[in-house]
Amino acid sequence: MSATVDIRFRLNGVDTEVTVPAGMSTLEMLRERLDLTGTKYACGEGECGACTISVDGVTVNSCLMFAADCDGRELLTIEGLVASPVGEVLRASFARNGAVQCGFCTPGIMMQAQHVLRKHKGCERADLQRAIEGNLCRCTGYVKIIDSIAEACVTADTEQGA
Amino acid sequence: MGAAVDIARGETLIGKRVPKMDAPEKASGRTRYIHDINLPGQLHAKILRAGVVHARIVSIDTSAAKALPGVHAVITAADVPWQRPIGVAKDHLPLKTDRVRSPRDEIAAVAADSAEIAEAALRLIKVTYDPLPVVTSAEDALRPGAPLLHGEELTWTAPDGRREVLHAPSPDNVAMTFNYAQGDVARGEAESDTVVEDVFWLHYVTHCCMGVSGVIAEFDADDNLRLYSNTQVPFLHKREFAELLGIDPGRIRVIQPPIGGGFGSKLDIYPFEPIAIFLAKITQRPVKLIFTREEEFLASPTRQPVLLKLRSGCKRDGTLTFRTVDTLHDNGAYTSWGATTPFVMMQTISSLYRVPHCQYRTRAVYTNNPYAGSFRGYGNLQATFAVEAHMDKLAEAVGMDPVTFRLRNAQEPGEITPQGMHFKSCGFKQCLETAALRSDFRRKHNEYRAKWHDSNPLKRGVGMASMLHVGGGAKIYPSDGCGTILKIDDFAHLTLITGASEIGQGSETVLAQLVCEELGLPLSAVTVVNNDTDITPWDVGVHASRTTFVAGNSAIGAARKAKAKILAAAAAKLELPVERLGLRAGCVVETGSGNRFIEIGKLIRSLHFSDKAELVMTTHYYEPPSQHQDREFKGDVSAAYAWATQVAEVEVDTMTGIVRLLRITGAHDVGRVLNRLGIEGQIEGGIVMGQGYATTENLIVENGVVRNPSFRDYKLVTAPEIPAIDISFIETMDGEGPQGAKGVGEAPAICVAAAVANAIYNATGVRLYALPFTPENVYRALKGQAQPPVWRVAS
Amino acid sequence: MSGISNYVAPRSLDEAAELLRAGNVTLLAGGTDLMPQSRNGRTQLRPTLMSIRRVAELRGISEAAGNVRIGALTTISELRDSVLVRERLQALWQACDRFASDQIRNAATIGGNICNASPAGDTLVPLLVLDAQVELASKSNGTLATRAVPIADFLLGPGQTARAATEILSGIVLALPPRHFISSFFKFGTRPALDISLISVGLAARRAGNALHDVRVAFGAVAPRPIRAPAAEAALEGKALDDGVIAVAAAAAEAEIHPISDVRASDWYRREMVRNMFTRVLAHVRDR
Ligand SMILES: Cc1cc2nc3c(=O)[nH]c(=O)nc-3n(C[C@H](O)[C@H](O)[C@H](O)COP(=O)(O)OP(=O)(O)OC[C@H]3O[C@@H](n4cnc5c(N)ncnc54)[C@H](O)[C@@H]3O)c2cc1C
Repeated sequence: MSATVDIRFRLNGVDTEVTVPAGMSTLEMLRERLDLTGTKYACGEGECGACTISVDGVTVNSCLMFAADCDGRELLTIEGLVASPVGEVLRASFARNGAVQCGFCTPGIMMQAQHVLRKHKGCERADLQRAIEGNLCRCTGYVKIIDSIAEACVTADTEQGA
Repeated sequence: MGAAVDIARGETLIGKRVPKMDAPEKASGRTRYIHDINLPGQLHAKILRAGVVHARIVSIDTSAAKALPGVHAVITAADVPWQRPIGVAKDHLPLKTDRVRSPRDEIAAVAADSAEIAEAALRLIKVTYDPLPVVTSAEDALRPGAPLLHGEELTWTAPDGRREVLHAPSPDNVAMTFNYAQGDVARGEAESDTVVEDVFWLHYVTHCCMGVSGVIAEFDADDNLRLYSNTQVPFLHKREFAELLGIDPGRIRVIQPPIGGGFGSKLDIYPFEPIAIFLAKITQRPVKLIFTREEEFLASPTRQPVLLKLRSGCKRDGTLTFRTVDTLHDNGAYTSWGATTPFVMMQTISSLYRVPHCQYRTRAVYTNNPYAGSFRGYGNLQATFAVEAHMDKLAEAVGMDPVTFRLRNAQEPGEITPQGMHFKSCGFKQCLETAALRSDFRRKHNEYRAKWHDSNPLKRGVGMASMLHVGGGAKIYPSDGCGTILKIDDFAHLTLITGASEIGQGSETVLAQLVCEELGLPLSAVTVVNNDTDITPWDVGVHASRTTFVAGNSAIGAARKAKAKILAAAAAKLELPVERLGLRAGCVVETGSGNRFIEIGKLIRSLHFSDKAELVMTTHYYEPPSQHQDREFKGDVSAAYAWATQVAEVEVDTMTGIVRLLRITGAHDVGRVLNRLGIEGQIEGGIVMGQGYATTENLIVENGVVRNPSFRDYKLVTAPEIPAIDISFIETMDGEGPQGAKGVGEAPAICVAAAVANAIYNATGVRLYALPFTPENVYRALKGQAQPPVWRVAS
Repeated sequence: MSGISNYVAPRSLDEAAELLRAGNVTLLAGGTDLMPQSRNGRTQLRPTLMSIRRVAELRGISEAAGNVRIGALTTISELRDSVLVRERLQALWQACDRFASDQIRNAATIGGNICNASPAGDTLVPLLVLDAQVELASKSNGTLATRAVPIADFLLGPGQTARAATEILSGIVLALPPRHFISSFFKFGTRPALDISLISVGLAARRAGNALHDVRVAFGAVAPRPIRAPAAEAALEGKALDDGVIAVAAAAAEAEIHPISDVRASDWYRREMVRNMFTRVLAHVRDR
């Protein structure tokens, strides 16, 4: 039978301790152990990005990460993101620009978008398209998602400048 | 980006960019989809699927699974002798009794403390099978002597021993047939100067909703069933579930959590829902069943694959003369909505263009393949693909350009087609002209064609296709209605209770807008309730692009009654004639001057607290003025019809076969734009879904087995691949539509593949008759190595 | 279900090698192969799961004495963001640019890509044409020792490498290419990324005028492992690139590949694409 591991990490700014089975994925830990259901399961093999979270400042598919491997790291999920100023900018932009339809892929794309804003290598449309190439959306055709991130880039810029 | 609407100043919301009401919640990850709901005491269910294609079940041994700690129930068909068949033809038992007809077939199911335990239990179930010969194509299924999939009658024995035949045997594997005719095709052919005939193959694709299928079933102590389900048709399914369980439909409550994508996939009952219900009944615990993505690929419906033979003709002057269509629908192992797509296909065949003589024939044939459900566009992508290929071929044959040829045959307002459809509003010609103009179609079409033989391996092409689709509901049942209950509380907060479900398309927001428009209230004053059959009034479901039209008219009706009530009360209170009063910006105002008399909230409070207290609470039921078609499929099935033309511009790499979609120019007759943001989103999403159908998506089915059940090998379009999209709205202000609008949900996905095929021809001189246009398929065709589809159907 | 009974995360290479020596260890880097493979049963996890993420010696890209060393834990994103890689190791950069998606590039390591030894592994083709060596560390006789193996010898077949169970891949070493050295990688796919290579083409050479010297050609996804194509290399060596030479080289390449048919493509199509894309890569070099 699978062993358990005691791990400790910062989750959305809060020190967190959990005991997880060694084979558990971070996605399962977030959803089933920590009740953070904003991170979605949609494929479980890294193809769709619905489970995107940020670990030590970079986004990853939480379905591909062993929960045990969260030990000592800093995690940000959609729940933490929307409580931050960047998250607010993104949420407002996503709503205003019509980026959300069924909404199932949205938290993952919000997470990827915050990564884009953090890395901020220019906000050319083509770069933004590539930046979200790991996030599938079946409803929107991506146009309005790209609009939203582009607008958030500009907003984030002006706010930084101010 | 449009400026924000200032509702306080009484501006209209119609046509504006109105953000979806549920967007902030969804973007925050707070929306609770079915996957996120956990009920106290809930068990987790998993289904054992056959894995074999066609076999007799010899034995099932569940003893080891039952003995696993944490397992509460393991069921097979033997445990639910009272189960009844489901589906469009009632040919499908949720748990299979003695025979499996498809690898997805449900053999047993487990309810356990966790999904992992349920999964482990499945592995302990031992099933032995006796293989049967496999039927892997519809053509094979029709051959004399082919193994029969449903050769025996399906009976049901009631607890009192009474036997009922629920599905008659099919002696020839034919599940359903559709025949339609208008005029006399022989005469049409005799009058033709040019005749073309081709066979087309339209492949398997599947919905790929981002949220996988799931359900939670729960019985209360009085044996009432509460079902958390993502069905698109809660009221009709309530009845079916009741039948299935042998209980009164009144005992069933369907609660619809927000849905992670629909697109038609939740229009039928699939075995997992009854199975969860069985388990809940047996364990007396809430049972949650969620698919894996692999299961979603294997066991959710597909789009209907079609082999289609089309023969069409025209006169030298470009007038269409006739069309003869024969199609073979691979029905798969059981019958779901896919089999009924001819209903829509024949509309395109008979009525997209004026064709005096038409004959249409379909057979849906049982095989061991996956079975098709309804999917956005409902057969229309398939029919349009063939029809629009022939429009280009005929145009070329008579030496006309594609636009002129189409304009010559296009429908006009007022037309009543031989099939009985009445086009009260029709912007088809504007669609054609606008799309042609904005894409510079004629010039490019000539220019690209001239470069077929030059040395550049990268070729460009433009292609056009148009579509006709129901835009005012579709009376596929005797009713196509929707009810609304509306109440306004004493703070002028409005609760709109509608029968129409929100499936991500934004209907909630549009309905709220329509009501606000009548009552002069801001969107923030509205709560929409649309997800609980114990609360919401009757509706036939989300399908056929009907919600904005039908539910919208229903909501407007309720709002107008509320308005009359408010104004009457205001007139009495203010002692003014009611004609002088209107509602605007949350107030009762003087019409004309706009002077404010009283806030609506205050007025309503005075009603509530008066000695003859009265509530502003209204109901309205809207039934569109359409007809249930007759047995010959004639009749005006929709209250309005939507039109569109799309031009695709592509680049074909002749060294790889890669087709890149550069631009889609779409012109859509939508009646009227209600929410610009929402409608753009629908159209963009539909176009990209159409792009996937045309170029990337392909559910590979070999010998009954799905070979690529994952996003790794089933490719949805990703963000870098989308084309530039240019959309024009043709606003024909439909007389029956809510504020003039028509339905648009399905339209944008319909033309893309057809337009891309025409564009590939314009780029290369090679016409493709089979989807999808994946690099290898296109490359083969360019090299003359492709096997075009052939019609080898026993008649 | 995983049969893991123990999870360890050593902090030094020495410690990691020691744990490996004890045996029954599955090594975990980014997990982007390991997680899906362990779930679908393609890989059986051993009782001890060892995350090497904290081993600092395995990180970073450095340049010294004309050599570039890439730590095994370097992620694909780090390679893609590296100016050194972009400017001097173009083929590797191109592979990283076309690799999976941002989220996966952020997690996936080059060491994992090599040890996973997929015939379609995208960094392998550039590493082949860049003549890279892999560095393997172990403590098989008590002290930490390393050996270097040319990548071509390291890759044995699908999922099979010359790595002993007690060894850890610590890094990749390659000579910094000289001036006028060109390298290029082409991945066949319909989209920029998130696509498994249907076929891939790698080319590296020193360019003198219109002629190529020291030519290396490699192909991915057309044999059980990514392969060098010596006959194609010979056909190009020292020759000025023109249509004739290109055609001869493309024909030579065809004889060196053994593609299969699967759900993604037929062997016929893979062959055609190797010829066409190799031709295109060469024409591109010629016209540059
Ligand atoms: C959706 C998706 C898309 C992908 N796309 C691509 C793509 O485009 N191109 C491509 O090439 N690959 C792709 N991959 C595969 C995968 O991401 C890469 O192979 C990646 O580089 C593996 O690295 P990792 O760090 O995640 O390895 P892990 O999964 O952690 O390990 C892989 C294997 O290598 C072993 N291992 C890892 N590091 C070491 C070491 N230092 N020493 C010894 N053994 C070690 C592990 O034990 C394991 O057996 C994709 C994967 C997914 C899920």
